[in-house]
Amino acid sequence: MATKEVITKVWIEEGCIVCDACETAAPEVFEVLEETCVIRPDALSAEFTKPRSEGIVDAAEECPTDVIKFETVTVEASDADAPVEPVVSAEESPAEQPVAKPAPVVSKTTEPSAPKAATAKASPVVSSGAGDPDPAIAALLRAAKSRGGSAGILANEAAVPGEAGALRGKAAADLPPDARQAKVQEAARKARKDPDAARRSLISSAALGIGWSAFGLGTGVAVGPAFARFMMPNVLEEPDPRVRVGPLRRYAEMEPGAVIEDFKPQGVWMIRTRNRIAALSIICTHLGCIPNWLPNDRKFKCPCHGSGYRQSGINFEGPTPRPLERFRLVVEDGVVIVDKSKRYQFELGQWDQPGSYLEA
Amino acid sequence: MPGVLAEGSGFDTIKHWVNVLCQPHWFMIIAVVLLIVFLVGYRKVTKPVIAGPLAAFATLAFLASCFDPNFILIVKKADNVPIVMMIVSMTFFIWLSFRQAAINDERMENGQPLLEAGADDKVLVWPDLVYIELIALVLFTAFLIVWAILLRAPLEQPADPNVAPNPAKAPWYFLGLQEMLVYFDPWLAGVVFPGLIVVGLIAIPYMDKNPRGNGYYTFKERPFAISTFMFGFVILWSVLIVFGTFLRGPNWNFFGPYEFWDHNQPAALLNREPRDLFWIEMLNRPIPGNYLLRELPGILLLGGYFILGPAVLYVLFFRKLCRQVGMLRYGMMAFLLLTMLLMPIKMVLRWSLNLHYVVAITEWFLNV
Repeated sequence: MATKEVITKVWIEEGCIVCDACETAAPEVFEVLEETCVIRPDALSAEFTKPRSEGIVDAAEECPTDVIKFETVTVEASDADAPVEPVVSAEESPAEQPVAKPAPVVSKTTEPSAPKAATAKASPVVSSGAGDPDPAIAALLRAAKSRGGSAGILANEAAVPGEAGALRGKAAADLPPDARQAKVQEAARKARKDPDAARRSLISSAALGIGWSAFGLGTGVAVGPAFARFMMPNVLEEPDPRVRVGPLRRYAEMEPGAVIEDFKPQGVWMIRTRNRIAALSIICTHLGCIPNWLPNDRKFKCPCHGSGYRQSGINFEGPTPRPLERFRLVVEDGVVIVDKSKRYQFELGQWDQPGSYLEA
Repeated sequence: MPGVLAEGSGFDTIKHWVNVLCQPHWFMIIAVVLLIVFLVGYRKVTKPVIAGPLAAFATLAFLASCFDPNFILIVKKADNVPIVMMIVSMTFFIWLSFRQAAINDERMENGQPLLEAGADDKVLVWPDLVYIELIALVLFTAFLIVWAILLRAPLEQPADPNVAPNPAKAPWYFLGLQEMLVYFDPWLAGVVFPGLIVVGLIAIPYMDKNPRGNGYYTFKERPFAISTFMFGFVILWSVLIVFGTFLRGPNWNFFGPYEFWDHNQPAALLNREPRDLFWIEMLNRPIPGNYLLRELPGILLLGGYFILGPAVLYVLFFRKLCRQVGMLRYGMMAFLLLTMLLMPIKMVLRWSLNLHYVVAITEWFLNV
């Protein structure tokens, strides 16, 4: 006679790696939480678990760490759909209830198969008056109870989910092992939100932060100067800030309003205003581009953002906030020398200081 | 002039008017008006019956313009070709998203499911994503190779610290910043504003908790958020890139698309300071020596803008929003919005009044 394995109980051992494989295979049975996987409360009922045997077996095979365990009971498969349709009330299908229905072969129980009426009385969970359960199921129930399990079976088909759901309301101690685990996790999750725990974690992370900051600071103090010295070039090559721009004679002959661009590569425009000779920096005071002298417009015009300066270096158009800077002028032996290390700024009133110009 | 299209005087008139309309203030006004028209009439404008002929007309106008020697000179520069592509692709994707938003909004009104209703929220990396990536990789590599062969890299002579190219242009993605630098001080346009743009974009999810529009296209449900973004992205970023690429010529002067880039073109832009306008022209008095007193009108203007601005906006537009998101979020939003609007305001002031700075305390290097 053909037999078939059905699962009456499923549980999860230590070592779940939260891989979601079981939930993918049998979502109605397994639920993967943050830290482990639990059996859904509904699935603690053998009534619920049995028809899902295939899915549970699949999930157990899929499980990479093999922590899904289950107990099976062998039933005769002659009544092929009996396990799939676990609760068939006698009233609904009297024709299908064979008089000589073969007793299920239950692996662990020694109790002989009982008549329907006896089964109903023997299992206290089954509500009376709701019709007699299938003898196979009655046997399963007995088997489960004989092992100390608390799986309940209801004959009333419609009430099964509700009854299984009612397990949720029970105290943790009354629940079967897996549901208890879920309760424990629920409690742990609540504990994490507990202010004491939050304070402890704050203190520990603050201590960690202070520790690492102190370490970083200490390392910085110890290594920083050495690193700065290492990054500093051994030889600093700076061009001579003093630029020789030719004999004074040449500048004395300049027309008022003239610009000499010969020394632009050295960073200097030589200009003559009405009665002064001055050296203008060629760096735009807006953002440091190099403007061009436009003789037709008589202005220095920056190609980057359109800043414009008059021949004297005063800004008058575009975004630049202040005039071009002037350099110090020195005459040595009739030769004019521009000292680029000393700058004069108009907005600070420095263009009238001696040294910022030569009398023409 | 070469080309059939360039011969008639009718085309010269059109070119002249296009040049005039490409002056920055007109260009800006037209761009803003077009954006408003687009946002208001997005359901009609995005219909293929209307958008298609518009796209065809724009393409035709672009191709006809290519017969103009000055236009083609700028457009076919290796640096500028990607900007042409950018305009095309940007327009297309804006149209696409607003088309989907228009369809969705209409469906919502009729109680029909959204376009995205049947879509899976999970897609497999392999093969769905990796296949697309592989195809994109191959196509794009081929495209880049062809591009690199056809268009020479714009290499120039070795850099000389004493010579700046004229005009000196930033990479295209920084042209918006460069344009900003024309109107503001370096520390503002180069440091504060870019920082605020980045910080503001990061802050959007914290200020805007409205979950509508997540995962589906819509305009009707988020008109303010989308309009503000479009203004910032299209007007204050993309239009400025177009300015910098096609319209800014030698000496950083503006040139129309059909104008010759004349290095000697005179352009007098005599700056005016608010202190001159206030003390001399309005009060007819000498400018005070104390710089805080001197800049008082500008400081008051700017302070009033940032202090009264949020209150005025609240009374006019944002009562409901403020109730929904709270005072702090509203304050942040109003500050960022006002800072963003400072840019077009300053541009308009510079173009219309030649206003240099609102507050110019050069002594502290504090110019706004």
